[in-house]
Parts: sequence; C-alpha cells; structure tokens
Amino acid sequence: MIINGVTIDETFAEAFPMKGTRLIITALNAKWAMISAQAFTGFATSVIACGCEAGIERELNSSETPDGRPGVSVLIFAMGGKGLAKQVETRAGQCVLTSPTSALFSGLESDTEMALGQNLRFFGDGFQISKMIDGKRYWRIPVMDGEFLTQEKTGVQASVGGGNFLVLAESQEQALTACEAAIVEMRKIPNVIMPFPGGVVRSGSKVGSKYKALMASSNDAFCPTLKGQTKSDLSPEIESVMEIVIDGLTKEDIDKAMRVGIQAVCDLGAENGIRRISAGNYGGKLGPFHFHLQEIMA
Amino acid sequence: MSTLIFALKTPPAQRIDCSSLTPDLLADKSIADIAAIELVTGNSTAPVDSLFDISGDNTADITFANSTDKLDFVGRNMTTGKITIEGNVGAYLGLFLEGGQIEVTGNTGIYTACEMKSGQIKINGNAGEFVGGARPGYKNGMTGGTVIVTGDTGARTGDHMRRGMILIEGNAGDYCAARMISGTIAVLGNVGSHLGYGMKRGTVLLNQAPVQGIPANFNDCGPHTLAFLALLFKSFTKLDSQFAKTQSFSRVQRYAGDLGGIGMGEILVKI
Repeated sequence: MIINGVTIDETFAEAFPMKGTRLIITALNAKWAMISAQAFTGFATSVIACGCEAGIERELNSSETPDGRPGVSVLIFAMGGKGLAKQVETRAGQCVLTSPTSALFSGLESDTEMALGQNLRFFGDGFQISKMIDGKRYWRIPVMDGEFLTQEKTGVQASVGGGNFLVLAESQEQALTACEAAIVEMRKIPNVIMPFPGGVVRSGSKVGSKYKALMASSNDAFCPTLKGQTKSDLSPEIESVMEIVIDGLTKEDIDKAMRVGIQAVCDLGAENGIRRISAGNYGGKLGPFHFHLQEIMA
Repeated sequence: MSTLIFALKTPPAQRIDCSSLTPDLLADKSIADIAAIELVTGNSTAPVDSLFDISGDNTADITFANSTDKLDFVGRNMTTGKITIEGNVGAYLGLFLEGGQIEVTGNTGIYTACEMKSGQIKINGNAGEFVGGARPGYKNGMTGGTVIVTGDTGARTGDHMRRGMILIEGNAGDYCAARMISGTIAVLGNVGSHLGYGMKRGTVLLNQAPVQGIPANFNDCGPHTLAFLALLFKSFTKLDSQFAKTQSFSRVQRYAGDLGGIGMGEILVKI
C-alpha cells in the first residue's frame, strides 16, 4: 500500500491490555488546571520504568466540568488495577492536592471502581468532610488555600496500551515535522493519549536485551546508525525513525487515532521526505491486540 | 393501568395505620385482596374498603385522596413506586423509606421521613417536628434520600440526621439540625433558635443569616469560596423545587460547631 508516495508496511502494531481511568482536574483558571494536570501526568511515558502511562486528553471548558471551573481531562493507564490505584493515589496526592485551587474528579463511569480521594482524605487530619451529592461521595479536605475537593472513587476499565506506528523519514527534521502533524490530529480523538514527550518517542524499544537485567532495549532494527551493523529494517535513504505510541480506553479508539495520525503523516508525503510507515511488531510476544496498518488505512 | 386511588370516605375519628398500602406490599394483589386488607385504626382494625373508596389498579402509583392528618405511616418501608397524598397526612410519613417517591399536596405530621434511607419525599406544604429524625430512643435519623418541603418545618428538623438532604424552601423551626450526625440541610427562609444544638457533623446551608443570629456555640471560620457548593447546586437543578431556581452561590461565611461537642458541624451562610 502506498499513500502519497509513502509506503505503508504490511505489518501490525502489537498492543497489550491495561487498566485505565479518566480524571478531571479543575482549578481557578485554565492555567492552573493545566499546571496540575502536567504535574500529574509527568514521568508517565512508559510502564517499563514509570509504573504507568498518562497524558492529557484535552482541555475542558467550565461547562464540561463537575464544579463549573476550567479543567483538564487526563487518562492514566497501568498494567493492573492495583498498580493503577497506587499511581493515581500518589500522583493525586503529590501533584493535584498540592496544586493551588485544584479539585479532582472522576471522568469515567464504570461498574468497577477504585479509590481516588478515598485515602487522600486522611490528609485532613480529622477535619475532612464527606458529602454525598447525586449518589457520589466527595471529600472536602482543608488545605492552606481553602479546600481541596475530590471525588472518593473513580471508574476503572479494561483498556489498551502500546498501539503505535513508526515514521521513517529521510531526515530527523522531516520525521519530527511529520510526527508533530500527526499528534495535532490525534489529539482531536477522544479516549486516547500519546504518553511520550510531545507525543513522540525516538527511542523505540524491542522486547528483551543482551543484558539480563533489562526487559527492553533499543530497537536496533530501526536505528539508522546501525544499518551496516545489525539486521536492519531500514533502506539506505532512511536516516531517522520516530514512533508514536497510543494508549486508549478501547481498541477502536486507538484504531481511529492511528488512522488520523498516519493520514496526517502521509499528507506530507514523499515530497517531504516521508518514505515509510511501519509499526512495532514483536511477533506476537508482546500483546493480544494487533493493529494492522493496511487494514486501518484501507 | 390507572393510578390506584384510595379516597377517604369520611374524615376518620381515629388514626389509621396505612403502612400496608405501599406499592411493595400491594404488588400482585387483586383489588378484592386490597379491599380486604385490615388496617389498624384506633384500638381495632377495619378493612380498607370500609375506610376508602378504591379505584384504579396500578399498585406502583398510589394516591390517597381526601387525606387528613389522621393517616399515619404512609409509605413505610417503601422501596419503589410512587405515592401521592392529596391533602394533609399524619405522623411517620415515609418511615424507613428505601426508594420511590412520595408527594404530599398538604401538610405532614410529626416524624416525616423518619429514618428514611433513600428515595424522595416532597411536601407541598408544611412539615411537622422531627423531619428526617430518628424514632424516640434511636440515635440515627435519615441515612439517605432527599426531602423537599416547600413550606416550613417544625422544631428539631434533622434531629440525629445521619446522611441525605433536607431542603426547606420556607422557614425551619427551633433546634434545626440538633444532634445532627451528618448530611445536609438547606433553608431558603429563616431558622429558629438553637440552630445546630449538639450538632456533631454535617452542613446547614442558609440562604440568609438567621434573624436570631448564629448560636454562641458556633465559631466563625470566616468567609470562603467552597467548590463543593457548585456541585450541590447543580444537583438541585434536577429537583422540582425552588432550590432548582435559586441562584447558585459558593461564597459563604462558615461557622463551625457545636463546640460544646466535637464541633465538626458547619453552618454556611450565603454572603
């Protein structure tokens, strides 16, 4: 398959099951909601070392938030429910509770729930106040700038992590430009995040390593400087490869995000140095969700 | 199916225990079976059809017509359906209510919504003493649900209240929120004396400062903007109540008390 001179490899991205939730962070103004959300989703690029993958889904205007203030919705994913609960609790406690004027709410309804403010309330040292509103419990925790309001629980749902595609270009600049264009379009799709810095990862990994202590290592087949040194997957004209990783609440959400992302890259086309689109495919070792690039772009 | 109507034939001389006439207990019963149910009245019993004219057949939607304040225990232990009371009603309306809706066009007697657990009671009139309270000798009043009173409430509204919401569009009587354990009472009008006497936790939200002032056993915590009030007012918008039309506010003067006890309750006054 070739779109605008860009070859779409006959391959697939492999993704794996995760547990995920959506949280809504609000504040006195959009600036401080974003600051809090950025802190909450910091150091959350990959479960390999961060314990979770998190990102900002989108900004919310006042009419879209529970407390009628500007907000930001974030998605956070982990390999299991317990790990997710631990990450949510520590991040909420250190990054949202601490952030001036913030409030924290669940953004996902589900039959399965986990603690959100349930344990943070103890920060109130006995002065915390519970409020049941519309069947949901909230905690009002006294803090130095007033009150921190948080919902007691948030929904959890089975999700998908690790959807991806690779952009193979003739130069770093062209690869980055294409990825930036893809991220702009992909951020318009709900229920997904691209957890790496700016949504783009330049150090795609393969499963395993020659070093026993490492569970992942550099994807040497796509490293352009190793073209003559390893079993490379790159042709001579490819000088830079960048990857976009997508986590989503459902497989269909990731399908949509990949489609618009790849299309944005292809729109730049061969004339802008984009030669191929490929994907992280580890022969089925990584996960049960397979995103076939040509099917997605058909 | 049409509303099952119990129209009181004549104003009763004795009180009538109507706890048998709920959607739960009448479900699957024929009209003949319902007519034969013996209700306790005074020191004896009487079949339903000797006291009420019965019409309609929808046991999930019951109306008491020509009602008087002699009808007690209406909606007791109800978990589903709807009861409408045309006129006044007696004591213990909605005792142990677990679900469904009760609406009264007149006034209610003592112990309305006593130990109510869930559901909604709307009183288009005044309510008697101990709205949402606990039975004498018991220590937990209502534990959930919403009570709306378009008129005034009597003394000791929310006595021992444990959870849930009481919304009073008129005035609340003396000792409002006395011995309150938790939950929310909101009043658009005035409140009587001894507000929050023995209050442990919970919130009393006032649209205006009490004419008699804040009780001495509450301390002023200053003016604040409280984010939860936005959520609370948003929840009001779903209700058929003056509260749904009230302009939302989150700026309040906060008073904590009763400091004669654990002092974790709060009175919030709109500023």
